[in-house]
Amino acid sequence: MMEKKLLGSTLSDVAISDIDLRPGPFSMSFGFDLEPLKASIGRFGVLNSPYLLKGPDRKFIVVAGYRRLLAARELGWPDTACQIVPDTFPPFEALLLNLNDNLTHRQLNTIEKAMVLKKLTRYLKGEEIIKNFMSILGIPANRQTLEVFLGLEELEETIRVSLAAERLSLRVAGLMTGIGRDDRLRINDLFTTIKWSFNQQWEAAQMLIEIASREGRSIKELIDEKEIMEVLGNDRMNNPQKVKSVVKILKARRLPSLLEAEKLFKRGLARVSLPLGVRIIPPPFFEGIDYKLEIVFRKGQELREKLAVLSHLSGLEMVTDFWRGMEPR
Amino acid sequence: MRQFKISRILIERGAENDSLAKRILRRLPNIPVENVEPRERAPGEDIEGMDKMSLRIIHFRGEFLKPCPGTRRYMCCGYQILNVGTNCPMECSYCFLQSYVNQPSLRIFTNLEDKLNVIGEIIDASPDRIFRIGTGEFTDSLSLDYLTGWSDFLLPFFSHRKNCILELKTKTSSIKSLIESRYRKGIIIAWSLNTRRIIAKEERRTASLRSRVLAARQCQEAGFVLGFHFDPLVHYPGWEEDYEEIVQLLERYIDPEPIIWISLGSLRYMPDLKWTIKGRFSGTDIFDGEFVRGLDGKFRYFKPIRVEMYAKLSERLKKWYDDLGVYLCMESDDIWGQSLGWSPGNSANLATYLDGRVRKLVGH
Repeated sequence: MMEKKLLGSTLSDVAISDIDLRPGPFSMSFGFDLEPLKASIGRFGVLNSPYLLKGPDRKFIVVAGYRRLLAARELGWPDTACQIVPDTFPPFEALLLNLNDNLTHRQLNTIEKAMVLKKLTRYLKGEEIIKNFMSILGIPANRQTLEVFLGLEELEETIRVSLAAERLSLRVAGLMTGIGRDDRLRINDLFTTIKWSFNQQWEAAQMLIEIASREGRSIKELIDEKEIMEVLGNDRMNNPQKVKSVVKILKARRLPSLLEAEKLFKRGLARVSLPLGVRIIPPPFFEGIDYKLEIVFRKGQELREKLAVLSHLSGLEMVTDFWRGMEPR
Repeated sequence: MRQFKISRILIERGAENDSLAKRILRRLPNIPVENVEPRERAPGEDIEGMDKMSLRIIHFRGEFLKPCPGTRRYMCCGYQILNVGTNCPMECSYCFLQSYVNQPSLRIFTNLEDKLNVIGEIIDASPDRIFRIGTGEFTDSLSLDYLTGWSDFLLPFFSHRKNCILELKTKTSSIKSLIESRYRKGIIIAWSLNTRRIIAKEERRTASLRSRVLAARQCQEAGFVLGFHFDPLVHYPGWEEDYEEIVQLLERYIDPEPIIWISLGSLRYMPDLKWTIKGRFSGTDIFDGEFVRGLDGKFRYFKPIRVEMYAKLSERLKKWYDDLGVYLCMESDDIWGQSLGWSPGNSANLATYLDGRVRKLVGH
């Protein structure tokens, strides 16, 4: 037996059946694929020994190397060499040991980072975690983000899987902790069955929550409405088209007056018959007063002709009022 | 007079000998005191909860008199803020200080009294200019007056000056010290008003609408000039009837002639504030309206909604009395024109308009 001086651990062959392989107090693994590791261990063996601590029921608790041990078990190994830390080894130190072991050879996914933070709360105050651990994990070091991460554990397994696989935005998950189970599962379903960018997810999630609040309905009911379901089930649309259509439906519900104004503006413009390659762009949300004119041309003569047409176009003087329902005569 | 619960006093190093600090300590004899370094966060002083039961005594090293920060690309009235402290013991869900100041606890600047001479020099150096000064931007002007005694020294200081007014803006009915004072000239007592529904749901620990209006009446009867601020106006089903109720209350209890101004401003917020608010006030529905990003990055109601609210309310106020000094807070020229039928055109003209109100109602 060999003793590691700093940790006081000893290397020993341990029967796999003597190890508790449920995710223990120091585990920070979630949503992983064991196959590549199994292939590596099958060929080269366990290159770095797992660390174990003797549990109260005489079974060993995994400090570090949880996935290596799972792979060994699946490969049918009867035992493997492990470092056994002394019984007096402090649990907080065991957690740090595993964290350091993980950080040196892989990226933790969102749920794994949440697991680390949650486990740290057993030993440290929020301020200390924010100051000393969030940056190490690659997370903005502030209270609000910590709260979001700590809330992830309450979310359902399917949502956590989506987060770990980066199919669901963390910001959206942060919103989910404040809504009911059925609603958040339905949102997760909506955002993972077709591909959305995280910005689109964020925009849509906010609209869903606010429409539901305004109309006194559940988010699930909103998503399950015919209009959205028809878009999602439309085989002639590709994914980006579906996402765009769902966002448009939600926007019309969330900002009906703005949508109506946009419609009126388009209708007014259509009636003045702008020359080809000419666009009039209103200020964003009609909030400002500056409109833009865009003319596409290839030759100076073409520009002159388009300007001439524009200068005689009737109804153009009312263009800034189209969105208010005024129409060209 | 409502007294708010203070569970501890945090004294920043350097503030121990400030006269205002000593006064506060005398008035809160049994409250635990902790000494802290300037800018050091005390244990439990968390930004999420705002820690409004801790009173932090600060020897302020910044400028006490500063122009209202206003907002880009909207008209601003040229108001001056007398920075007496930040945060207040009330809990308005929409309060911009939650993201603007981003610091917890009730923060009182206790060297204010010692710096009044500097403020006096600034005011006296521009005798032709009218300074419209208020303490109610970063805190409530009266909610902590029972501890700070602000009115005891601010009223005589400003009342004696010929080219300034001091506006005390509040959501409380704590007017005892004002009534007992003998200073009236140049002092404006102003109430922020909102519907009973908004007060109940969004303005926690504030005085009821009726209490505010009755307190205003008492102040008016005692000889103070009044101002009112309908800000933030919140759009929800039934808003019109609810704001009508406020005007009816004003009609019943207030003489409109000596009102110096009534401002109208709609709910607006920086994008980040929305999630801070939703985190702190989970039941709030103030974001249900149709908000769009404004020219300054803040979210505001879509323009026609704002115009409708301003136009209807100003029209209703006009029916009550047609010279109330109604103005819009942080709005653009076209909104002014569409809502009120006129516009000052720019910030400088708006300031001139309000200075004119001061000359007319206060006599400067």
